[in-house]
Amino acid sequence: MERKAQILSGVTFIAMLLAIYMVFIYAPIERKMGILQKIFYFHVSTAWIPYLAFLVVFLCSIVFLWRRDKRWDTIAFCSAEIGLVIDTLVLITGSIWAKPAWGVWWTWEPRLTTSLIMWLLYAGYLLLRRSVEEAMRRARFAAVYGIAAFISVPISFMSIRWWRTIHPVVIKPTGIELEPPMITALIVCLVAFTLFYFCLLQQRYRLKKIKDEIEDIKSELGG
Amino acid sequence: MNYIRQILTIVSKDIAAEIRTKEMLNSMLVFVILIMVIFHFAFGEVFEGVEIAVGILWGAFLFAAVLGLNRIFVHEKDEGCLDGLMLCPTDRAVIYFGKVLSSLIFIFVVQMLALPIFFVFFIKMIPLSNLWLLLLVIILSNVGITSVGTLLSAISINTKARDLMLPILFFPVIIPILIAAVKLTGLIMTASKFSGDILIWLRMLAIYDIIFLLVGFLTFEYVLEE
Repeated sequence: MERKAQILSGVTFIAMLLAIYMVFIYAPIERKMGILQKIFYFHVSTAWIPYLAFLVVFLCSIVFLWRRDKRWDTIAFCSAEIGLVIDTLVLITGSIWAKPAWGVWWTWEPRLTTSLIMWLLYAGYLLLRRSVEEAMRRARFAAVYGIAAFISVPISFMSIRWWRTIHPVVIKPTGIELEPPMITALIVCLVAFTLFYFCLLQQRYRLKKIKDEIEDIKSELGG
Repeated sequence: MNYIRQILTIVSKDIAAEIRTKEMLNSMLVFVILIMVIFHFAFGEVFEGVEIAVGILWGAFLFAAVLGLNRIFVHEKDEGCLDGLMLCPTDRAVIYFGKVLSSLIFIFVVQMLALPIFFVFFIKMIPLSNLWLLLLVIILSNVGITSVGTLLSAISINTKARDLMLPILFFPVIIPILIAAVKLTGLIMTASKFSGDILIWLRMLAIYDIIFLLVGFLTFEYVLEE
């Protein structure tokens, strides 16, 4: 267990270094936007992590309700927390990227809006968890909400997209053409951030378990 | 058959209790009118056209719905009736569908009382030609609102934050309904006849309703447990 965690951390560290090298040195500088375009790699490769993280919440919630094993609930909680943090990063890097690409900090574009709605959904998820004292009940409620919230994400995305297609699109995204080295850099970045997610999840899970154990010991001694 | 009779028993119990107190209906109705007045002043002079009026309508409907949904389990919980309901030799799904149906009725009654007021305030005339279509949109939206709302209301009533929790959990999940309802109401009020766009959005509403009734049906038993 310990050994595996170390290996994962090491691999993630190397992948991250490689990603930084690929983004800043290997990939050419974009002609129109120059150095600003670099944030694109980080933005795109983080953008899919919340979807992955919340999918993990969804699946763990189902397994928890089925098996009633507290471990699944703990994984769901850790994944939701990491997903929310990375989603915040996505929204911030997205805004920085939107400024040079579209000329505004924010636009109600389907992917951007969906990221915002996801942020609200899982902020609610974490607030719900804080609002229930008893552990098993908290796990059940969180699991039910984790399922309902995740199912609503694709429906939100579709309805926002249809909404936009019928509305006139004021700001047209200027597509950038990706050179082959840029694509390679993007793929490396994607892999690095995905590893980073699993690395964080593992560390967070370990931390949470230790914390729960301390709580148990405390209540035993105090109670 | 037995299922439907049990569901209707729960609904008639809720209606009888509501008729006696009128707590939920009265406060929802006053609240809807209040929100319309607040929106009127909030938009001030720039207020113009159907688009903003439709936004006001659905804003008011959604806020009133949350107010009502918050109450749907309060009496059950506070007076210990929930234990009684759970002891009944029925499926949990019966309680779920019963509660969905009774909140559907309460919300619809308030909406039907508020709708004429809305037309008088903001539209200045009643679009009689498409009225049936508007009613269909309201009913379909209500099914989505109550199927999600009943599930989340049962959750939030059992948390420390209680009434505070429901809007935070409810609004982000309900956004697709809001989008579809606003879009459809706008189309119905401006377009003279039935168009393909209306059909697309109606289908979207129906899909949402089916999915979330299923989610509620499958997960409700895990909420009411212990």
